[in-house]
Amino acid sequence: MSAMLGLLSVALLTATPVWLATLGETLTQRTGVINLGVEGQMLVGAAAGFAATYLSGNPWLGLLAGALAGMALSCLHALLCLVLGVNQIASGLAVLFLGNGLSSFYGTTLVDKQITGFHSLTHSAAARWPVVGQFIAELTPSVYLAFALWLACAVLLLRTQAGLVWRASGESADALRMLGKSPARWRLAGILVGGLFTGLAGAALSVDYTRTWVAQMTAGRGLLAVGLVIVARWNPWLALPVALIYGLAEALALRLQSLGMNVSPYLLGTLPYLVPLIVLLLSYRASRRRGAMPQELSGVFRGMA
Amino acid sequence: MKNSPILTLLADRLMVPLLGTTVFIALAAAFFHFNGYPPGKIFVQILKGAFGDAFSITTTLGKTLPILLCALATALPARMGLISVGAEGQLYFGALAGTAAVLAHPEASAWLMLPAMLALALLGGALWGAIPGVLRAALGVNETIVTILLNYLAIKLVEYAVYGPWKDPSNLGWPATMAFPGTAQFPAIACDGVASNWALPFAVVLALALFVLVEKSRLGSALALLRSNPRVARLAGIRYAPHCIAVMALAGMLAGLAGIVQAANVQNHLQPDLSSGYGYVGFLVAWLAGQSFLRIIPLALVMGGLLSAADALQLFAQLPYANTLVLQALLFISVLGVGAARSKWRRA
Repeated sequence: MSAMLGLLSVALLTATPVWLATLGETLTQRTGVINLGVEGQMLVGAAAGFAATYLSGNPWLGLLAGALAGMALSCLHALLCLVLGVNQIASGLAVLFLGNGLSSFYGTTLVDKQITGFHSLTHSAAARWPVVGQFIAELTPSVYLAFALWLACAVLLLRTQAGLVWRASGESADALRMLGKSPARWRLAGILVGGLFTGLAGAALSVDYTRTWVAQMTAGRGLLAVGLVIVARWNPWLALPVALIYGLAEALALRLQSLGMNVSPYLLGTLPYLVPLIVLLLSYRASRRRGAMPQELSGVFRGMA
Repeated sequence: MKNSPILTLLADRLMVPLLGTTVFIALAAAFFHFNGYPPGKIFVQILKGAFGDAFSITTTLGKTLPILLCALATALPARMGLISVGAEGQLYFGALAGTAAVLAHPEASAWLMLPAMLALALLGGALWGAIPGVLRAALGVNETIVTILLNYLAIKLVEYAVYGPWKDPSNLGWPATMAFPGTAQFPAIACDGVASNWALPFAVVLALALFVLVEKSRLGSALALLRSNPRVARLAGIRYAPHCIAVMALAGMLAGLAGIVQAANVQNHLQPDLSSGYGYVGFLVAWLAGQSFLRIIPLALVMGGLLSAADALQLFAQLPYANTLVLQALLFISVLGVGAARSKWRRA
């Protein structure tokens, strides 16, 4: 039982950046825009977050700086695809390339730097609670932050008037125009909020999870998040379980290594890509058939937008 | 000469590239200036580092080859509307498969070795390209996401091989296979101190062949119809699935060829840093060329020069290598933005 809980807490810790990124991209896509630049936004978030934590010594400032950096980069996506009308996939890739370049360029001075990160909760009062105490204490502030944001997003998106308009701009831009609202404005909001979340996701990775900075450290997590949005059928509630699929694959790879299994760590390292990819394939057909996809996105997915 | 149709056409054709380049140079100059490097001096250094002497031209040509092939591997699927970013992974997997032939029979004669190595590399690349093709055709899975994820997977597999079963113990911990024998290398060409190998002219011929195949045959119009209107294509008897899979497999072959040349001739080993992001650079070149196989050739040379100059800049100006990543992104953004703005303005 405690072994299972241990695996679950490692999975949650690993999954948190992907969880936040999936949540952010879900919000973006529900307004009818796809942003493949998540990976780049996570990278600038990770670099800016790490730099801010290093300079200020305050990991909370780091998370804030990362989120803002992600949002700043997402403005490029808004400019290219909303204002200039560039293909959304190409525009997202431009964001990805620029984020990768900027974070690698400015990040060169951050390599090998040390930060302290958040204080551990393992010696707090909560750790002495029966059964779940140890589990709760293993988790870090970014997990709790992700949890709060997840609840807030899902309720706001699915249960409020503003959430209804948000979703409507992804379902039918025409209907929104008839109501006298501008779909472009809601999409801008969708892109910026997505940028904020994915920047935060990157900072959670570098400030709280690895506590180091390496160029290209997100290693495909941002793109996985874009895929996982589809697996989650654009439902914010499902962002947690789908991110846990990634987290469990990664945690399992780590666990098998530490158990001294005679399997190459590089081979095990393929699990976090293979498992979500397979789940993506299994759920793809179902997610399209059941009409979960925001209608305004279907053109992009047919490759014609 | 007012309103001469030829001049109008010329201005029309040149406007996007010229304006795009201008925007790019402005952005790049701003980037260098902002970081405390004099833009003028850096630009001169880039030109020198790219084409300044025989050594830099040799480096440039060495980088041009994989970029050219990866750009072709991007442009071909783009002709039927597929946005593949998978050349990087296809390059890695092609090299992995080709290396298997070399390691199986390192003593084989060149007549056996080269064809076997090449065949396996092409097959490997084709397989890695066909996977997203099949998924797209059978399930409708977005090929962009799958190709990028497969890139990471292919790199992991190469790492597994060179850190594990294929690692040569005599390398003293350095993760790489044994050195490729001379029989497993593409014949060299040299001229006035500039060195390259026969794979480069072969790649140019491939680009021309693709041009003829796609622009001058029915295949091209079939692909164009599949891109613009799959429903009409189906009515015309052009089936999506076989085209999608074949085009992706063929693209994979092109990138796989780049991978094996890189391993055999450039690095002489299979090692984890096989590619300096050539797959992604190739993607950019294909888009800058408007997916035209002919325009890809000179643009690949320019981009090869830019990468070769980045090495030199790192040495002489202490400019981090990552500046090329920023420059490439700025170039992509400029051309995308200007192109889209022009068509928007024209529609209005």
